[in-house]
Amino acid sequence: MKTQVAVMAGAALLAASSSARAQKASQTAGNRRRKGQDELIEVLQKPEATRKEKADALRVLAQVGDRACVPAVAPLLRDEEAADMARYALEPIPDPAVDDALRAVVAEAQGRPLIGAIASLGVRRDVKAVPALSAKLADADPQVAVAAAKALGSIGTLPAANALRDALGKSQAAPHAAAVEGLFRAAESLAALGRHAEAAEVYEALAHSAAPEGAKEVAAKRAEELRKA
Amino acid sequence: MTIPVSTADGPAAKAPTRRDCLKTAALAGAVFAVPTIVPASALGRDGAVAPSERITMAGVGLGPRGQYVLDWMSPEPDVRFVAIADVQKSRREEVKAKIDKHNGDQDCKTYADFEEMLATRPDIDAVLLATGDRWHAQAAIRAMRLGKDVYSEKPSSMTVAEGRAVVEAASRYGRVYQTGTQRLSEGPFAIAIELARSGKLGKVHTVRAHIAPWDSADLSHAWLPEEPQPPKDEVDWDAWLGGCPWRPYNSGYVKGGWRGHYDFHTSCIGEWGAHTFAQGQAGVDALDTSPVEYAYVNNVSGDGMVATFASGVKMILQREGWRGSCGMTFEGDEGSASCADGYEKPDVSSPALLAEGEKLLAEYMERTGRPMNHVRDFFDCVKSRRQAVANPEVMHRTMSTVHAANVCMWLRRDVHFDPVREEFVGDAEANRFLTRAQRAPWII
Repeated sequence: MKTQVAVMAGAALLAASSSARAQKASQTAGNRRRKGQDELIEVLQKPEATRKEKADALRVLAQVGDRACVPAVAPLLRDEEAADMARYALEPIPDPAVDDALRAVVAEAQGRPLIGAIASLGVRRDVKAVPALSAKLADADPQVAVAAAKALGSIGTLPAANALRDALGKSQAAPHAAAVEGLFRAAESLAALGRHAEAAEVYEALAHSAAPEGAKEVAAKRAEELRKA
Repeated sequence: MTIPVSTADGPAAKAPTRRDCLKTAALAGAVFAVPTIVPASALGRDGAVAPSERITMAGVGLGPRGQYVLDWMSPEPDVRFVAIADVQKSRREEVKAKIDKHNGDQDCKTYADFEEMLATRPDIDAVLLATGDRWHAQAAIRAMRLGKDVYSEKPSSMTVAEGRAVVEAASRYGRVYQTGTQRLSEGPFAIAIELARSGKLGKVHTVRAHIAPWDSADLSHAWLPEEPQPPKDEVDWDAWLGGCPWRPYNSGYVKGGWRGHYDFHTSCIGEWGAHTFAQGQAGVDALDTSPVEYAYVNNVSGDGMVATFASGVKMILQREGWRGSCGMTFEGDEGSASCADGYEKPDVSSPALLAEGEKLLAEYMERTGRPMNHVRDFFDCVKSRRQAVANPEVMHRTMSTVHAANVCMWLRRDVHFDPVREEFVGDAEANRFLTRAQRAPWII
């Protein structure tokens, strides 16, 4: 009995010790990461930092950055020169502060920073961005409309799909092609969520659109399969 | 791309195309008897190929490798190149001269913007893509959205996410796609693959895959010194970069010096792994998956890395071990087979395997109807609409192996990959390498 207790105590001690070591290791890694991020943020805030130095800092933040770097990186999203690398850093960070920052850019920016922010919201599948992105489907800049259509498709909710269906009948050339692409993405998302009827409706809209023939055939086939499912 | 570039040399040719014929046939249905005098050559007599059977092609970004493939494709009797797109004027002119010489006319049109070319040329059925690695998937996706079939040089994706996007584009738009892993369609390699697949080697436990014996898995983030940017018509630097992060112009990149740079290249592992992982995975029936474990090796190249499939089969990355390039070896508990460039027949552990291999190859060709000619397989599939041997899924799965092996080297530790979810297992750090934010407006 004494032996058993001793073994159990030893096991508990070992477990506690392992846990402590693991916690310490975790804190050390965390501290190292925090320090690294702080230094990178410092580079971004240095007025004399070169474009290359900032790009390098943003590149590393794409790998190690977290919520703490968002306030320093977000202002760069509006900067023509730095916007793309700012997105490069922020896009993979799983924190809603990034979505907030990107949505703010969509509300204010133009040109490439706007196109980039729209695209990143699509990659991040930010549902809150759907109303703003839907409004961009009719933007005078066709590249903005294209970005919005693809982003809405990636988000893939029913409101996003409905906005795209509306745009499909009104758009031409590149924005029309992007609406086709967006609708494919949205239909796939809806089908994956088990919303077969809604997905089939989207595919049927595509099958009767001015999409390339091959795409219309695929859409018709997918609609039929979903109707049977 | 929607950026307008007006460098087209003129309108499209008016001769009937395969697409015209297919469209007319579809409209006419069964009543296609038109009382018109048609030249015999147009109907396919006199040894000529009828327009309905001719595949109209365009090239995109054809440097030395692309022109090699162009020379391979052009003699096919049912293929005609009619246009070239390239962001470099000198390349456009070089390739136009080559195509015109082959065709015996001056009709090849040149474009700086390949999307403008494809959007305004409904006569073009398919494209040969041979840009730098950074543009392979990006251009393939855009071409397929415009209704074109695609033959793309390898390595055909820069990230796992980009590879998946190619698969999705081909599926959505009903396109035929072939990646340029041509050894899947070469006899000696196919014999080795079939010997492994058929069980003639017993249970295959190890695959050895050749990686390029130069360069490194450590890719550079350095910028070459800035040089004055040439006029846009000579080199469209913005388009050359495409979705990659901006950097200042240096002519070295455009002349092929993009290799070794993280933004543009998939390292020594991707350089040949794009071929040899496909060959290896074909032999163990793993073209629909990727290894799940990647064991880090403490060197600069990944030489000796063991990548293990869920089945337990191990694939070992090796820089040496063959008498030619792009080799692969299958080791089973009853025998082995190995092949690389220059092998007339695979090296096998027992002479009897060679005879069996020849028979297996004949059976494979009979069963699948595939020729031992990679570009011919592509053209046959363009006509039949069936999947090519190196179809998007094959490309994506084998390039996922490349990407996971690279991430293993970059993080300097083992990684575990889930081929179903297409992400690293419980590894947020590694998962940040699955995709890269693209530069606006070059976003797919």
